[in-house]
Amino acid sequence: MKIRFTIIFFLYAFIFSIKAQDHLSIQLDYANNLFNSRQYYDAITEYKRLQFFDSTKTFNYEINYKIGECYKAGTKYDDAIKYFSFAELSARNEDEYCDSKTQIVRTNILRRTTDRALQLCDKLEKDQRFNGKSDQINYWRGWAFIFADNWENAAKSFDKINSNHELKKLAERTDKAKVSVTFAKVISYILPGSGAIYSGKFLSGLMSLGWNLLSGYWTVNSFIEDRVFDGVVAAELVWLRFYRGAVQNAEEFAIEKNLDVSNKSLHYLQNEYKGIKP
Amino acid sequence: MMARLLISFLFIAEISYAQTDWVRWEANQVSFELPTHQNHDYTVEKSSFGMTLLSVFRNTYYFFISDLDGDNCPFEPSCSAFFLQSVKETSIIKGTLMFADRFTRDLNFFKGMNHYTLLASKKFSDPAYNYTLHSAKIKF
Amino acid sequence: MKTKTNKRFIVAFFFLIVLLNTANCQLPTDGNIFSPQNRLQFGNFLYKDRDYLRAAEEFKEYLKNESNDTIVFRLANSYFKIGRFAEAADNFKGLFFGSQFSEETRLLFYESIFFQNDYKSLRKLAEGKIYSSSKYANEIERLKYTSYFLDNSVLPDENIVLKYFPDSVQSQMINFYQQKKIPQHKSLTTAAILSTLMPGAGKIYTGEIGDGITSFIATALTTYLAITNFNADHQFRGWLFSGLAAFFYAGNIYGSASSAQIYNAKIQFNFDKEVKLFFEQRNYFLPKIDY
Repeated sequence: MKIRFTIIFFLYAFIFSIKAQDHLSIQLDYANNLFNSRQYYDAITEYKRLQFFDSTKTFNYEINYKIGECYKAGTKYDDAIKYFSFAELSARNEDEYCDSKTQIVRTNILRRTTDRALQLCDKLEKDQRFNGKSDQINYWRGWAFIFADNWENAAKSFDKINSNHELKKLAERTDKAKVSVTFAKVISYILPGSGAIYSGKFLSGLMSLGWNLLSGYWTVNSFIEDRVFDGVVAAELVWLRFYRGAVQNAEEFAIEKNLDVSNKSLHYLQNEYKGIKP
Repeated sequence: MMARLLISFLFIAEISYAQTDWVRWEANQVSFELPTHQNHDYTVEKSSFGMTLLSVFRNTYYFFISDLDGDNCPFEPSCSAFFLQSVKETSIIKGTLMFADRFTRDLNFFKGMNHYTLLASKKFSDPAYNYTLHSAKIKF
Repeated sequence: MKTKTNKRFIVAFFFLIVLLNTANCQLPTDGNIFSPQNRLQFGNFLYKDRDYLRAAEEFKEYLKNESNDTIVFRLANSYFKIGRFAEAADNFKGLFFGSQFSEETRLLFYESIFFQNDYKSLRKLAEGKIYSSSKYANEIERLKYTSYFLDNSVLPDENIVLKYFPDSVQSQMINFYQQKKIPQHKSLTTAAILSTLMPGAGKIYTGEIGDGITSFIATALTTYLAITNFNADHQFRGWLFSGLAAFFYAGNIYGSASSAQIYNAKIQFNFDKEVKLFFEQRNYFLPKIDY
């Protein structure tokens, strides 16, 4: 009889826990549905509800990870990192640990805290749990460099994965298409307007050159004709102004051109690239 | 010491988290692209004939002079944009007086010591609406 | 004997089940995670976690089925904490009569009006003794007089205003009162007249010494150049510099008046900032109320 009751008791306890677990699974599905329909604020509420009632902490990892993803989708990166860190702490195996750690790196990339992302990549490289995942680390390191507008190093990182890697080629192309800001400035010191032409602003460069030639002529002519006051005024208020403007513009146009080149690649990465993104 | 720092960090993190969710928010896609430099605004004002004429003059000035002679104006908005804003906010006469005053203030070599707020662009904030003689319009 | 043992086992089994259920109290024992009681538990957890908007949602759902003054208070306070003062005021109102929180909610209702910056309504309500509180009468009066420092209303008599504030801040309050009553403003007319008489003087009067000197030099130099050019029979240049001189002169008169106005606005702005900071640092002399 005693044995019978013991069996009934444990059976009940088991069924009870299964039943509770079932409710929690239903709740997890509900929260996941909200997540999948991009209702992230409500999804967090339901994940938190699940976390509150999940006294056995069965779903702790999933919940923290998903809440992190919700915040990330809402561009609330500080909160996202906080929850991915919680997920990291509640990871039950190496895969879960690596996933949450990678998410922290990815969120840092999106947050443009590149130094932190790179620091984490270096740390993960030394982490034994990441053995055999060097491709993954290099991939995200490459992305961190891309977000820091450092295409040369990005290409090097992708090269470590595969010398024919699609992103390596893109990074190299982007880096090659950029112009030298210093060169643009230097040639503008020598021939005003040339820096702008080098950066692709032909009309602006020619107009700049025209103003410099004209104001230079006015200045020199004034001094030749002994009109010193006129010469000083023309030099100070016109020539120097346009000469300085030509150098400033050369730098600005070169930076602008490089930004255009970067943004073209970034636009492609965001909208057309099929691989995994931060 | 470390424990205190950790507690402070957790406390700040907790507060910042709570405030994140005090207002409902939606999914938001951040652009991968880098912010680009703001160029001169060449929009032609069409509110009146005078404004159209003035903005055409301004655009001509931008195209032939301002875009080529470098970044000389320490203010934001620049003197030409200030003039147009002044006229738009008041009238051609009052706007011209406001511009004359701005031009004089621009000549002041020691304006850095003045009351202007320094913007992230390293320029002095000096919007036209502060000079219309309407105290309610003044903002700091 | 056997039946007796069986009965004992049944009783023990029953208690064990109850114990098991109690031990797992956080689990939705009724099978419904969204039951009013579970919503209440979760809402209270969120409230303690200062996740007020979510807590308010849970409390609202709970109150659809149950009645509980503490939860109405928490719902109102959640709105209050996240700055939704209109909704907070509405919910506090529900506890004015026949509730243990009657006194506290009246004060918090006044606070909600105050933090909406609706100072006129606050003063009207306080003066009419509408929804007045016997326990927090002083706090409400103090809030009313604080509001005079935060908008453009005419201040009542100094002694009346100051008597509601603690002794420790009396000297600071007198200082604020004087600054508010007699602000150190500059006259726009004086500034304009001074610049009419001597270019730049109006600017110097408003404290813009650099601008004043620059105006004087610009006007004087262009006037000098106009005169010398006319004397040298350079008509075009003469007229050009005359125009510039007039431009600088007129601009300076206008600029002096606007400079005086900006000076006054700045005085007001700094005063408002200082007063706000002073009261904020002291939580507007309000007691902390929470349940």
